[in-house]
Amino acid sequence: MRIEKRQVEGKPLTVIVEYPEWNRSVDNLVRKIGRMDLSFSAKSEDSSVMLSILDVYYIENVERKLFIYTKDNVYRLESSMAELENNAEDFGLVRISRTCIMNTEHLKEIRQIRNSHLEAVMDNDEKLIVSRKYLPEIKKMFKRESL
Amino acid sequence: MKKILRDTCILSALTILAVFTVSIFWMGVTDEIKLVLELFGLSFIISVVNYLLDEITSLPIWAGYVVKYLAVTGIVMLFGFIAGWFFASNFWMAFIYVGIVFVLAYLLDTIKTKRDIDFINSKIREKAE
Repeated sequence: MRIEKRQVEGKPLTVIVEYPEWNRSVDNLVRKIGRMDLSFSAKSEDSSVMLSILDVYYIENVERKLFIYTKDNVYRLESSMAELENNAEDFGLVRISRTCIMNTEHLKEIRQIRNSHLEAVMDNDEKLIVSRKYLPEIKKMFKRESL
Repeated sequence: MKKILRDTCILSALTILAVFTVSIFWMGVTDEIKLVLELFGLSFIISVVNYLLDEITSLPIWAGYVVKYLAVTGIVMLFGFIAGWFFASNFWMAFIYVGIVFVLAYLLDTIKTKRDIDFINSKIREKAE
């Protein structure tokens, strides 16, 4: 794969992918590039912010309210779990329990705790409970990414 | 191999169901046909309960198995009494039948879960390198 970079002033960031034929590798590459462009409109205590998917660690549903967790902060998200799940796979987001969607880009490790719970350790060392039911989905996502 | 085994089980079940259902037209509902249809009915009910328990509860792995074991044994007992499989003296047999299936399922599940975790962690390490 050849990578070319050039500065074009006055134009938005543009990525052009040239390929001899469309295959899974190209599809995967385009998905990954697209993933960098997703952003969420979220609210903090007194203001609205745009959060890039790259900053999102996980999204949690608490009493029908969605919260986005970044490395150090929590924001309120105006969306629904179903809406998020529609695009989840394309953006590295995967459901890990009934109330939580995790960004696999920040996943450091999955652990099993004494044959009881599964735990996802994020790269900021935060630990999330993973429901065993969703483990195959996480595996599927990593399988697809490695193609 | 796993896919072949799974497909074999599904195909066998569908074949048995089709053959026995067609047989009703020729021989009526014999005891064998009745038993097969009852087993399919029981499997359907267990699958629905299993699905609902997965959706509703979020228990530790071992606790999930205990709850499912008790629920499924209860269903098998109730169904067995209605269908006349058990007598009052041997209803406890349901605990053994269901227990054997659950021990096997638990062992297989434990192995599969460990493999899935190892696979995911290896992919994370690959990505980090």
